[in-house]
Amino acid sequence: MKIKKLLSLTVVPTLVIASLTGCGTQTEAPSASEVTEAAPKEETKPAEEGKEQEKVVLKVLAGQSTTDAGVEDMIDEALAKKYPEITLEWECVDWGKDFQPKMQQYMQSGLPDIMIGKAQDVTTYGSQGLLGDLTGKEYISKVLDAALPGVTLDNKVYGLVYNALYQGVYYNKQIFKDNNIEIPKTQAELKAVIDKLNGLGITPFATHFVDTWSIGNITMQFAINDVFNKTPNWGDKLREGEATFTQSPEYRSAYEYNKLIFDNTWKDETFSLEQTEADARLVQGKAAMKVSGSWSIQNFLDVDEKFEFGIFPFPNQTGDSKLIFEPNITFMKSADSPYQDAIDKVFEVVTNDKELALEIYNYTKTASMLKDVTPTFTNPSQADIDKYASDGNIVDANTGNTQLQWGGFQEENAKDIAEWLQGNITIDDALKAADARKENSKP
Amino acid sequence: MRKKSLDNKIFLQYVSLVLPGMLIFTVGLIIPLFMAFRYSFTSWNGMTKEMPFVGLENYKKFFTDSYVRDAWAFTIKFTIWNTIIQNVFALLFAMALDSAVKAKKIYRTIFFIPCLISALITGFVWLRMYSNILPKFNELIGAHFNFLLFGSKETVLLGLLIANNWQWIGYWMLIYLAALQSVPLELYEAAKVDGASRWKQFIHVTLPMLAPAFTICIVGITTGSLKVYDLMVSSTGGGPGRASTSIIYLIYNTAIGGRQYGYGSAMSISLVVVLLIIAVIQVGILRKREVQA
Repeated sequence: MKIKKLLSLTVVPTLVIASLTGCGTQTEAPSASEVTEAAPKEETKPAEEGKEQEKVVLKVLAGQSTTDAGVEDMIDEALAKKYPEITLEWECVDWGKDFQPKMQQYMQSGLPDIMIGKAQDVTTYGSQGLLGDLTGKEYISKVLDAALPGVTLDNKVYGLVYNALYQGVYYNKQIFKDNNIEIPKTQAELKAVIDKLNGLGITPFATHFVDTWSIGNITMQFAINDVFNKTPNWGDKLREGEATFTQSPEYRSAYEYNKLIFDNTWKDETFSLEQTEADARLVQGKAAMKVSGSWSIQNFLDVDEKFEFGIFPFPNQTGDSKLIFEPNITFMKSADSPYQDAIDKVFEVVTNDKELALEIYNYTKTASMLKDVTPTFTNPSQADIDKYASDGNIVDANTGNTQLQWGGFQEENAKDIAEWLQGNITIDDALKAADARKENSKP
Repeated sequence: MRKKSLDNKIFLQYVSLVLPGMLIFTVGLIIPLFMAFRYSFTSWNGMTKEMPFVGLENYKKFFTDSYVRDAWAFTIKFTIWNTIIQNVFALLFAMALDSAVKAKKIYRTIFFIPCLISALITGFVWLRMYSNILPKFNELIGAHFNFLLFGSKETVLLGLLIANNWQWIGYWMLIYLAALQSVPLELYEAAKVDGASRWKQFIHVTLPMLAPAFTICIVGITTGSLKVYDLMVSSTGGGPGRASTSIIYLIYNTAIGGRQYGYGSAMSISLVVVLLIIAVIQVGILRKREVQA
């Protein structure tokens, strides 16, 4: 009995103290500003001048797109040649699913030295003072000017944009050629193309709606051209109560384009099909078009390296829609890292080493965001991209993505659209649901 | 004096045995639980230093949120069906393998292999099965079965049940098999002497003797099903729409993906309470039915 009493007297306080200690630790977790202002810790002092050869291990959190896996080995190899004393310790995660949760975790325990995400992450984390200022660095001058506005906050550059994805309607050139189909520019023209393809027994659109991100992505593509191109601060207006999804004819149209695609795809299968299968079917001629992005090119060329495809912007009502480019791989550095010089050296390697840049672009099948570096892989859609670029018909995806948050907002709206397409709710319900969660919309 | 020293020794022994487990349990479970309880009264987004106190707002929202209601409805349906199907089939397979079936070791291994696979891989495998592999059978035999079970709200539960049961029946089967093999043969012999038929032997001997196994399996399957998450991640993504969003999936999406850590914490506290109530009720009822050989 005595033993039991003693044991319980020991166990209970231990539990209470341990619990309180845990809570206390959390309360004292470094804030964004504290992280920024914190002095480097004694034990993690960077290499001092004259001791450049001192070994440095940099932690890297890489939020990757489907095209990016494998890039880390290329960077390691190039870095080992130029700066053998620097080693990168990679943690590669899926950008869509795991980058934000990982960042949340690291914001409590200390950020990695380098973070690789998308340009839109600069808005989220840069505004909290977590990212190091890259303004005026020599390597930033290597980046195309067009890539800088999306990673600039208060006139300071916080991201090194490395490559870009193009988004629009990828089409099977052979099908278009064989059936004398012209590139549609307006909704009316698109509907005529759809009718013609249906008449020929060809599925107009390849889709894979099992991936909710795919619905979210194409909806944002439509919204960029119809909503944000005309009202760049539409998201701010939504939060201030000056705009709503339910009252916006443009956003309603963006939702309705999903229905147009859903009505002209393999309706029964799309909520069971993955991206690789949908991409393969476009190559095989089972569908003529796919609203997608450069992330599909790897799949296209894996199925058939001679596949002829092009790209055009998804047509809007007024016929003035633009091709969308999305700054993709974006290097960011922790403001708190004690290894600022070593990080700069890494960024210098990825921007100066043209061989490495070419290797990465050719592997990921993406466009360069570095001056004087042009990928050499055969991209049948490059001629289309060049044409839209020279005509000034290109728009940055960040116009929408920096206005409306992906996780918790765009993603949830996409689920509502899926529910609507499946007939479980009405379009009005879906639009109202988007309005109801507007407090989660700020990136 | 000597007794006191013995008591001290025993006490130290207790502490040394309890302490490691208690520390792990405290750090991994108790502390996070207390922290989640604290966050549940805030509107913290998981990133900022500020954790604005909102009182019971999150709990009020929890009881009126239609997504929570739908997620619970899905989770409960999934749990009930899983508990019935897995217990029935696991017991049937165990009885079959407990009899004089040839090559029963091979069957046992075959049944057990799926539970060695990660649930994430299981989800991916069944996504491919339904969308790519099984429809080929339709082409081969000229049939029109709907194998696209993940593709609609009406069939997604069935699709997930098949995948989940395929993975776990073998595991629970082994527990029933072990229990069946531990039933003393004398009990059957005595029942035979009393003129009991095979069916009566099963009802009056086998089932009561399996009661401890029932407790383990029913509680295990129920709590496991209520916590289902990873299977959906790689298969349905909680869809189509939100049709297969389990409560854990919703909690993760809300707290982490949706940056509503406070609300997500309130959801998880509620889940813990529900899990505790269910486990206590189940164990209470099932323990009463257990008998000793």
